Amino acid sequence: MVLHKFGEKLYSGLVATMTFHLKEICSSIEAAQGGLFLEELNRKWADHNKALQMIRDILMYMDRTFIPSAHKTPVHELGLNLWRDVVIHSSKIQTRLLDTLLELIQGERSGEVINRGLMRNITKMLMDLGSSVYQDDFEKQFLESSADFYRLESQEFIESCDCGEYLKKAERRLNEEIERVSHYLDAKSEAKITNVVEKELIESHMQRLVHMENSGLVNMIVGDKYEDLGRMYSLFRRVASGLVLIRDVMTSYIRETGKQLVTDLERLKDPVDFVQRLLDIKDKYDKIIGSAFSNDKTFQNALNSSFEYFINLNSRSPEYISLFVDDKLRKGLKGVSEEDVEIILDKVMMLFRYLQEKDVFEKYYKQHLAKRLLSGKTVSDDAERSLIVKLKTECGYQFTSKLEGMFTDMKTSEDTMQGFYANVGADLGDGPTLSVQVLTTGSWPTQPINTCNLPTEILSICEKFRNYYLGTHTGRRLTWQTNMGTADLKATFGKGQKHELNVSTYQMCVLMLFNNTDRLTYREIEQAAEIPASDLKRCLQSLACVKGKNVLRKEPMSKDIADSDAFFFNDKFTSKFFKVKIGTVVAQRESEPENQETRQRVEEDRKPQIEAAIVRIMKARRVLDHNNIVTEVTKQLQSRFLPNPVVIKKRIESLIEREFLERDKGDRKLYRYLA
Amino acid sequence: MHKLGRGHRDKIQQFITITGASEKVALQALKASDWHLEGALDVFYSQPQIRSFTDTRHLEELYNRYKDPYSDMILADGITLLCNDLQVDPQDIVMLVVSWHMKAATMCEFSKQEFIGGLQAVGIDSLEKFRERITFMRSELKDEHKFREIYNFAFGWAKEKGQKSLALDTAIGMWQLLFAEKHWPLVDHWCQFLQARHNKAISRDTWSQLLEFARTIDPALSNYDAEGAWPYLIDEFVEYLYENGIIQKDDYSQKQ
Repeated sequence: MVLHKFGEKLYSGLVATMTFHLKEICSSIEAAQGGLFLEELNRKWADHNKALQMIRDILMYMDRTFIPSAHKTPVHELGLNLWRDVVIHSSKIQTRLLDTLLELIQGERSGEVINRGLMRNITKMLMDLGSSVYQDDFEKQFLESSADFYRLESQEFIESCDCGEYLKKAERRLNEEIERVSHYLDAKSEAKITNVVEKELIESHMQRLVHMENSGLVNMIVGDKYEDLGRMYSLFRRVASGLVLIRDVMTSYIRETGKQLVTDLERLKDPVDFVQRLLDIKDKYDKIIGSAFSNDKTFQNALNSSFEYFINLNSRSPEYISLFVDDKLRKGLKGVSEEDVEIILDKVMMLFRYLQEKDVFEKYYKQHLAKRLLSGKTVSDDAERSLIVKLKTECGYQFTSKLEGMFTDMKTSEDTMQGFYANVGADLGDGPTLSVQVLTTGSWPTQPINTCNLPTEILSICEKFRNYYLGTHTGRRLTWQTNMGTADLKATFGKGQKHELNVSTYQMCVLMLFNNTDRLTYREIEQAAEIPASDLKRCLQSLACVKGKNVLRKEPMSKDIADSDAFFFNDKFTSKFFKVKIGTVVAQRESEPENQETRQRVEEDRKPQIEAAIVRIMKARRVLDHNNIVTEVTKQLQSRFLPNPVVIKKRIESLIEREFLERDKGDRKLYRYLA
Repeated sequence: MHKLGRGHRDKIQQFITITGASEKVALQALKASDWHLEGALDVFYSQPQIRSFTDTRHLEELYNRYKDPYSDMILADGITLLCNDLQVDPQDIVMLVVSWHMKAATMCEFSKQEFIGGLQAVGIDSLEKFRERITFMRSELKDEHKFREIYNFAFGWAKEKGQKSLALDTAIGMWQLLFAEKHWPLVDHWCQFLQARHNKAISRDTWSQLLEFARTIDPALSNYDAEGAWPYLIDEFVEYLYENGIIQKDDYSQKQ
């Protein structure tokens, strides 16, 4: 017919015929009852497609010639459009179709089994008719009604479930919807429906879930509920600011517990325990972040900043960390494998990095190291050195050069002693055996010089050593540090029992006095020994007032030492052990006044460091304003401590006074470097 | 002269009295400085030709009158005599201005060079001229720029030789004197604060910065900026004022 220019007629005939036919089909579908509706629709659709195929084949010529030139819709497409307009959009069918589909889905959500294959065909039909058909005639409503459904359901859940249960339910629903899409909805619907679920089940109730009493985030953290936490993480991740919420709540909880720990006065009485608790907390959260939060970097950062925050709330943290290290290196690492030693030291370094006042740590570390070295009480030389290396890597050579000097001195002293006995040994006869550590003044912590009268026997051998040493090292000065030494004394008591007493030098001086008499008053001891009063009292306390170590007897038997007390050699002293340790050289937590003193010294040490930084900066910049100087100085010194802006200002003024700097004549906030 | 108003005529008269210049010169100078007497005097005295007019012999005589019998300097007694001759109280602040002109190194003494050289530079070679000039010198304190120079000069002048800082008592005395000329409402509080809290010498920087503080910061501290790089002593002073309720700290005056 086309050939004979009857294309138009053919075409319109086609349209009319098909339309008429489809109207009939429409009625038959409408007539279908209940569940058969969809089936009927599906069947008729399949028929229609088949028919369209044939019609297209038959009218192929028209399709290829007349239709393009007349700008008409191609046959197949026409067929689909007519189906859409006549059948799908017929007033009865349109709504009924949508309602049926939604009903079925709702049923499935309630646990019913539905014919998924049929569903798939129907939705595919809609897609074939055009994605706008799918969206307008189905998807839009689907999303809306789903939203309503989940809104209600989530409200129900939240009233009746605890956090963990709720999350499980939410996860289940989410997975369901994803599965639903894969089975009988168009793939593009997945993102849209999951958005709905996320919004209704998760986003709307996020806050309430996280803060839920007895089951919320904090509860999960406390109970190490990794599974629940993991679930929360993966669900909340889907929602904007979901992770931020978790992170913020976790952070404030860590900060709170951390703050409590560092301000708990009872806890602080045992520094080693305190630091162990810090490490335990860190381990706990590392584990949570690792197993439940998939090592999320932002969580790691939040953990780090929290630690930095509360560790520095307590100004004695540096001291305590050093005491922890001291305890480990003294005995804590006995029998521990090399690998485990490294692990513990690395953990210590991790805490060290959080410290703002690293220079305070250095001061204490030096003190404690000195005590360990001098009393020979270090468990492992390798462990000591390993830690020094780690500190050097972290802070640079300057931090550790003096510490290394201390080790060198110990080694050199060994050699010196060997030389001493080799050279002078023969002349010594039966006198006491001496062991000297020669300490280079700059490397070791500064000590006040105290008086002390050494017993004659000791004095003479000390002199011999001094002569020997100065003989080989001219131009040096030796000062005996009597407050740092130890002695081993052989003592015989009343019933002939012999013991070896390990005591401090001061204690030795006191005990030796009893070689000549059985009774001495405090005053007499003070006069004879010339030891400063506070040290002497402490010394006498440890000799007379401690059970199991009371080699002296005191009258009266009170705990404190009074100037009027009298002391006796304790004949009746007994001990299970042959060797009795009475010395007091163990590093201890400082008393308040001692702590103040150390703090003052640290502040004094900081002044020249701040000045040096200012001068360095000004030398480079020549002219700089006040606020920028403060910022730069803080930056330069941050690896050691956080300088106080008021102190920086005072140092600037001091430098102005000493004519290193001047104020700019025009702008008083500007400073100039004076060459 | 008939064209001039009464005020102008008075000024010309004053000018002549003070400088001893001719009427013509007076008229010129005053016109040039828009009839501001101080300005006109300023210009007149800064003219270099003045120096050649001084008689060195007279100055030597004057120096010898005041010089100490045992050393080649004018010391306390000589200064007292000079003040008497000038009809000026030795405690009068105008003596500070005199010392400034002479570039005197230390208070209560003038070296020969300082005395003679200083007077020469300002064109004075007789007691008469000196007396006449005193009024003008007093007026110099009213000039903002000169006051600052005199104020800063006072630090070096008032402190002990060889010291870097100014003793607190002396500083307080100087401040009382100086801020009587240039009124600063907080001066008494400042002195009290120092005596209560500081009790140490005053550095040069603090001294000079205090003037800036008095000049630029409103006595209610509304424009005080804690980030303003003021010497720490001044920051502490501000805190002291707030702590003791002398100044109310309101949102207005807090700057972040």
